[in-house]
Amino acid sequence: MKRRAGESFTIGDQIEIEVLEVAGTRVKLGIVAPDSVAIVRKEARVTREENITAAQPVAPDALTALAHRVLRRPLSTQGVTRCQIHDTPGSSGTEK
Amino acid sequence: MPQIRTAYFGELDYTDGTVFHFPYGLPGFEHEQAFLFLKQPHIEPLLFLQSLGNSRLCFILLPILVVDPDYVVNLDAEDLAALHLPPGRQPRIGEDILCAAIVNTGAGQDGEATANLMAPVVVNLKEQIGMQAIQTGSGYSHRHPVPVGREVAPCS
Repeated sequence: MKRRAGESFTIGDQIEIEVLEVAGTRVKLGIVAPDSVAIVRKEARVTREENITAAQPVAPDALTALAHRVLRRPLSTQGVTRCQIHDTPGSSGTEK
Repeated sequence: MPQIRTAYFGELDYTDGTVFHFPYGLPGFEHEQAFLFLKQPHIEPLLFLQSLGNSRLCFILLPILVVDPDYVVNLDAEDLAALHLPPGRQPRIGEDILCAAIVNTGAGQDGEATANLMAPVVVNLKEQIGMQAIQTGSGYSHRHPVPVGREVAPCS
């Protein structure tokens, strides 16, 4: 399908998309859709799905393995029991 | 002193001055708007973004330059305003802002960890305001492999 600025197309009976403006590599679209249809940028949808997966709890040994992967240094056997609040990241923080 | 139960580190005392505000939450977690940044010496450089409102919600982050030393963040005018950063210039990572990628521990091929470089967590260090700034059109992947570091000497 090819459309110029000012032309539109429909998806089903209730959704209409109009090409409002074409400028260089950017296209401005106008969308008419029912309130029940969520309209989000693809990147926002991908980020949302990625966040939901990333929020799943991770086992402590998986954390140390991840840190090990990044740093490749011998790991302490000390457990994950102490942590630091990172007041202003970049500073030393306050050890708890 | 207020106390929270954290997802990975048990009970923790904190002060209001260490709370970071995310006015829009994060995509998928729009109602979680207050977080603490935690780190643990033995598993640095991992960072943890712990929700104050939901003790089980804690994102694992890596500083963006650890994942990609050449990473360039590009905040548009809306992002800069939302973060209370001055318009017209890009903030400097590590000076004006903290920029970190959310890690997905098993999303890559063969269950490898990946980092979301397409949508880094960006925080105004001075104002303690943060957001997840989607890098539209940047070409950065939402599933960038977490790099394997080079060998370093013990105790370095």
